[in-house]
Amino acid sequence: MVTKNSADVVIVGTGVVGVVIAEQLLDAGHSVLMVEAGPRVSRAEVVENWRNAPLGVKGDTSVAYPPRPWAPHPTGAEKGDDAYLQFTGPDAYDQTFIRYAGGSTWHWAGTSWRLTPEDMRINSLYGVGRDWAFDYDTLEPYYVRTEHKLGICGPSDRTKQWPQTGDRSAPYPMPDLPFSPGEVRFTEVVKTLGYNNIPVSQARNSGMPYDGRPACCANNNCVPVCPVAAKYDAETALHRLEKKGATILVDAVVYKVETNAQNKIEAVSYYDQHKESHRITGKLFVLACNGLENPKLLLMSKDDRNPNGVANSSDQVGRNMMDHPARSFTVTTKDPYWSGIGPVVNSGIMETSQGAFRSEHAGAYFRYNNFARNRFVTFAALKKGLVGKALDEEIRRMTACTADIVAAHEILADPNNRLTLSDKKDWLGLPKPSIHYDVGDYVRKCWEVYSQPIGKKIAEAMGATDVKISPKFNNSKHIMGGTIMGKDAGNSVVDVDCRAHDHENLFIPGGGAMAAGACGNSTITMVALAIKAGDAMVEQMRGA
Amino acid sequence: MKTVKTLSLVAPLALAAFAPASAQEFSKELVEKGRYLATASDCVACHTNHAGGKPMAGGLPMSSPVGTIVSTNITPSKEFGIGSYTEAQFADAVRKGVRADGANLYPAMPYVSYAIMTDEDIHALYAYFMQGVEPVEEKAPETDLPFPMNIRASMMGWNMLFRPADKPLENDPQQSAEWNRGRYLAEGAAHCSTCHTPRGVFMEEDKGRNLTGSQIGPWFAPDITNDKVHGIGSWTQEDLVTYLKTGRLDHRAQAAGSMAEAISYSFQHLSDPDLNAIATYVRSVPNPDASQASAPTRFDQGKAGNELAGFRGKGYAKGIEGDHAGAALYVANCASCHGYNAQGTTDGYYPSLFHNAATAGDNSTNVIAAILYGVDRHTKDGHVFMPPFGDQPNTINALSNVEVASLSNYILKDYGNAKLKVTPEDVQVIREGGPSSQLVLFARIGMGVGAVAALAVLGVAVWLFRRKRPQTQTAA
Repeated sequence: MVTKNSADVVIVGTGVVGVVIAEQLLDAGHSVLMVEAGPRVSRAEVVENWRNAPLGVKGDTSVAYPPRPWAPHPTGAEKGDDAYLQFTGPDAYDQTFIRYAGGSTWHWAGTSWRLTPEDMRINSLYGVGRDWAFDYDTLEPYYVRTEHKLGICGPSDRTKQWPQTGDRSAPYPMPDLPFSPGEVRFTEVVKTLGYNNIPVSQARNSGMPYDGRPACCANNNCVPVCPVAAKYDAETALHRLEKKGATILVDAVVYKVETNAQNKIEAVSYYDQHKESHRITGKLFVLACNGLENPKLLLMSKDDRNPNGVANSSDQVGRNMMDHPARSFTVTTKDPYWSGIGPVVNSGIMETSQGAFRSEHAGAYFRYNNFARNRFVTFAALKKGLVGKALDEEIRRMTACTADIVAAHEILADPNNRLTLSDKKDWLGLPKPSIHYDVGDYVRKCWEVYSQPIGKKIAEAMGATDVKISPKFNNSKHIMGGTIMGKDAGNSVVDVDCRAHDHENLFIPGGGAMAAGACGNSTITMVALAIKAGDAMVEQMRGA
Repeated sequence: MKTVKTLSLVAPLALAAFAPASAQEFSKELVEKGRYLATASDCVACHTNHAGGKPMAGGLPMSSPVGTIVSTNITPSKEFGIGSYTEAQFADAVRKGVRADGANLYPAMPYVSYAIMTDEDIHALYAYFMQGVEPVEEKAPETDLPFPMNIRASMMGWNMLFRPADKPLENDPQQSAEWNRGRYLAEGAAHCSTCHTPRGVFMEEDKGRNLTGSQIGPWFAPDITNDKVHGIGSWTQEDLVTYLKTGRLDHRAQAAGSMAEAISYSFQHLSDPDLNAIATYVRSVPNPDASQASAPTRFDQGKAGNELAGFRGKGYAKGIEGDHAGAALYVANCASCHGYNAQGTTDGYYPSLFHNAATAGDNSTNVIAAILYGVDRHTKDGHVFMPPFGDQPNTINALSNVEVASLSNYILKDYGNAKLKVTPEDVQVIREGGPSSQLVLFARIGMGVGAVAALAVLGVAVWLFRRKRPQTQTAA
């Protein structure tokens, strides 16, 4: 029986992790109540928010997702004390995520690289970072289920699949998408340097409908939103979950996780948009708000039994914040490349993320961004003082003859990269997250001796007449760490099923649990962990 | 009436010699012939729950004007399907709408059309269903229609009035062999008239207006007579064959709803000679109210254009409230595939919305239905899929009745039949599966006020029922 204040399973968050688990529990016959801090909006509204925005603000994808006062998320418009995320340390953990029903897959690119067996044993093999609590073979079946659940397309040619090590137990449900003209050319160029630019496996319907969603029709608008839902995003599951019996509360900001005398979770409390408090009870609880909101909520929920915060007897909650620190090379070429046909990210060089050098420095993944270039080059063309036909021609030339190459780096789990509660408060009076962040020598050394030289070599081979390199590490918005997984309850937050070591009925799946994140985008691994947690929850409910 | 009765007595006897299938070994050729006929008859479209069900195992809910009818398991399962049917019983079900137990089928099963199928073809069909179909040992859910339609015997009176003689069609010597073959397929197995022929007050096909168009659930099966304005008189033979093979004619028409199913499961798999035969016959069927040849058709209305300048930059909420609400909804929900000018794509996968039969018919049904239900069609060219905007689990955006009406009116005004107007109430009717028949109401009134007349009909029906049952049992 599900009501607005009780269910078998209470899930905080309606992003991809929450909806995947919700469906597993619903299919197993349990009642599910989902609680979302932000609003529920139609795809049409998001699409038009973006199209109505002037070109000058489109560098910030959050313009398509204006935050509600009670559910703030980072936007490009707010800086310093006014910003939702507060920063300390040498680097800014300047992420974006969306507090809307459907979560941040609304604006992901859909890129779905698996981890490699080596990525998960980085400490054993290279003596750095942390090993995962289990090996690749344990995770592999969950990767397969993720690929089929989300509809991830990818190559059937084994030589073009990632990872090259480790077995695949099933093919992708759809074939890879064709390369754009720019990608075809880029692939040829890097081949001369000995690198393989391979198709991205991506959560996008390639040439066919899948799971009741249409085929990709190449709007090249994956970020900030797929206008036709050909790219998987968690919003596409919400209506289906409701048909299966889920209740979804929106504009409901959970601010407290309440424990009982057995130190099990008894309830969660939320504020509605009128600042009124409500309490929800359940048997199992899932925090599915990823690596920033989950640790914030756990720290906010400290009580007498859990003085460091809920699930935090190890003092690891909020620590080990990770991302994929990125540097970009904006290349101007003599001859046209033409990006923009097909999805915004469609291929990449992954092999540069692997190697014995990882005992000394990070690896990096290189990608040729396939965003249509016109919106990035228009202001540069205007600055040249051109008008009329000359302006059009210059925009066209720069659209064809510029390209962005991005190097995304592997960062190590470091307990000093830490989220704490700021003394700055949000609209509801809840503390803002404050993150101390340093990308670390491991990443910096890679940039100096490995990734920057490779990037420059690629730019030269592309026939670059000009190369602009980003002056600092940018964030990739791949939020990992914060509720790290491990077998030892003394130095980790969750067990192999993303169950809190401290609370047997609390699950904290997603990127927060990742002990190492290598270079590839984290969502596929988050979902694989979610499905594994969902299985454990179904099993646990059987015993309940 | 006499013919019906006589045949119902004679036909089963003629076939009664055959025992149930388990004792039979049909030749591979016969089974394959039956498979082709089953494809031509499109059995699989209705007798399979396409949301994960097994072929021919039934369970597909179909909205009809008198309520939801659930298709049955017609695999050769002895317990749950038709595995214990004799050929005579099978023939009765297909051609007369009578089950092995003597109960009547609802005419959602197009036995009215199948009635003209020859004994030879029924024999092949039987061979296929007994030997070529995998038995599925699952019970399909029961149909539960409202009173009095839940009394299957009520169909007996209907059959007496409206079921044609189940005798083979006599060839028309004035027509070519191809035309005669086409008529046999189109009026029989392919059951075109089931959807395209308007129905009378008792839901019977009005054969006097054959193929002149009819509401079928939430869709409108348009006029496919050779009328130059209202029908498909402007199509060539090749056009019609292309349409039946692919489900579309660029810049004119595309199949959705039941026709998409008919293309996906049936027509595209038929031989070229048979498709040509069907086209030859259909293109000869006149509309009794033939129109002036000069008027515009549903294939050539509207033109490219947009109203972007009226709302771009004002914000979504303002856009869908103002004078350009329909256009704003179009841009937000439709333009990403159909183009900002509704021009579609050059390969035709995404059709233009002007020069498109769906937007310029004589009524607005198909505009509304396409929005609410989308399009789902499998052909050799690939899987054509437009997501639904109704309340389905996979809706891409659950549009309200007001929004669908506003969007429809914009599409009709700029791209289609500008004379039509859609109200939110019209949308609700299509959302509920199409207009419901007054038949249920009539029947209930009939039961109350005209009880005597009703009893008289039932009495005749029961008499017929009693007369038939012994033979059925003998046959078994």
